[in-house]
Amino acid sequence: MKKIWLYLLFTFGVSSFAQQSDFDSTSFTKADRIAKTYKSKGLIEVNKLTFQLTKDLTTDVEKFRAIYIWIAHNISNNHRMYLKNNRKKKRFKNDSVRLDEWNSKFKKDLFKKLLRNKTTICTGYALLLKEMCAVVGIEAHIVQGFGRTAVIDLSSLDFPNHTWNIVKLNNKWYLCDATWSSGFSNTETNEFKFKYNDGYFLTEPELFAKTHFPLQKELTLLPKNSMSYVEFSEAPLLYEDAYNMLDKHLLPLKMHNEIKKNEIVQFQYELKKKTDIKKVNLVLSSGSNEKYEKPNVSLEDNVLSLFYQFKRTGFYDVHLYFDKNLIATYTFRVSK
Amino acid sequence: MKTTTLSVLFLFLFISISSFAQDIQVKGKVSSKIENKKEALFGANIYLKGTSLGTSSDRKGEFTFPRKLKTGDILVVSYLGFIKKQITISTKSTYLDVVLKEDETNIMGALPSKKRYKSKRSKQ
Repeated sequence: MKKIWLYLLFTFGVSSFAQQSDFDSTSFTKADRIAKTYKSKGLIEVNKLTFQLTKDLTTDVEKFRAIYIWIAHNISNNHRMYLKNNRKKKRFKNDSVRLDEWNSKFKKDLFKKLLRNKTTICTGYALLLKEMCAVVGIEAHIVQGFGRTAVIDLSSLDFPNHTWNIVKLNNKWYLCDATWSSGFSNTETNEFKFKYNDGYFLTEPELFAKTHFPLQKELTLLPKNSMSYVEFSEAPLLYEDAYNMLDKHLLPLKMHNEIKKNEIVQFQYELKKKTDIKKVNLVLSSGSNEKYEKPNVSLEDNVLSLFYQFKRTGFYDVHLYFDKNLIATYTFRVSK
Repeated sequence: MKTTTLSVLFLFLFISISSFAQDIQVKGKVSSKIENKKEALFGANIYLKGTSLGTSSDRKGEFTFPRKLKTGDILVVSYLGFIKKQITISTKSTYLDVVLKEDETNIMGALPSKKRYKSKRSKQ
């Protein structure tokens, strides 16, 4: 096992800019079409399914694409199982024997459900992806660690809460998160809705690291020692749309900021897609008050810069929107 | 000296076996072993390494490989959450009793969320 990580570490040096745009010349049209039209009732025959999905594709990246798209469009997130697992993990937190027992029992249940009903939680997605990759000879690994969303309070997390993958394509390692690509659960009704998000497919490592912190630090695919857990937990909060729209988040560096009245704050992003800069907004929320603000916006090549002057003291949640898409949240304490 | 003779003998034995190699019909059973409890695995993957030939185990964990195999072929047996096994086929491989061990993956899941962040504020 140790050897694998050593080996991985060794290969990271050359992979610092691994992202989807490496494959800009590859068209995923065919892979996507195959994956979106191929239906399978259960998952009892994973290898047959994988062969069917990939048999007409030639390159590894296309095969991987077909597998990824199929998983993200066919495997649902099971909110009930997620809650149950969390409850038990909390309860057995200090009882390693019972925790192991629970993990073992839950795992069996989880895979049965995945194979029969195509529903799971993230570890199931990641394991299935790894398994399907293995069938066609693509090397993929599971990464365990911390995932961050608006509803997850990192300071109260007792254990890692998320699983994703790294995959080797053309001798380079890439990041992806099939769970977060698949869609959303309604937390009240436990119902799942598929809504594919391409932003978590071979994501730029720096952007990925804003919401994913691996237990094995090397697996950020960032240059060595470039991020600590503290930096991760203090980073700006990005939403799923950020992964569709941005290549990089540049400024501000932290989520929580303290500034003086009348200070001008700069926000900066590297864009993935063309964005109408007239529709770039900041929403300042102070408790029950909410205000739309037009910052000064400029676009140079694909770098978007926003300047905004805070003219009043107070404590604000500042949300960045591109049109109706929520991109990021910061807080600003503005003092005299 | 002795070892050379022995290895030459083995070499001959090997050559003679492989030259007489017949197609081998492989059947078997896949089960899991968790804390010494053995249980059949339904839906385990069994495939010939490097090809798109494969099958899956049935409710009893049993399978019959759809094609006859040759000595030296490698069968991969896998199941989600278990460590996969690679089995090199020999003339004795007519019935494989494959027991898979759990891997150490912990199960977890952070859900994707559409909710917007809201700071906790003390009532003023």
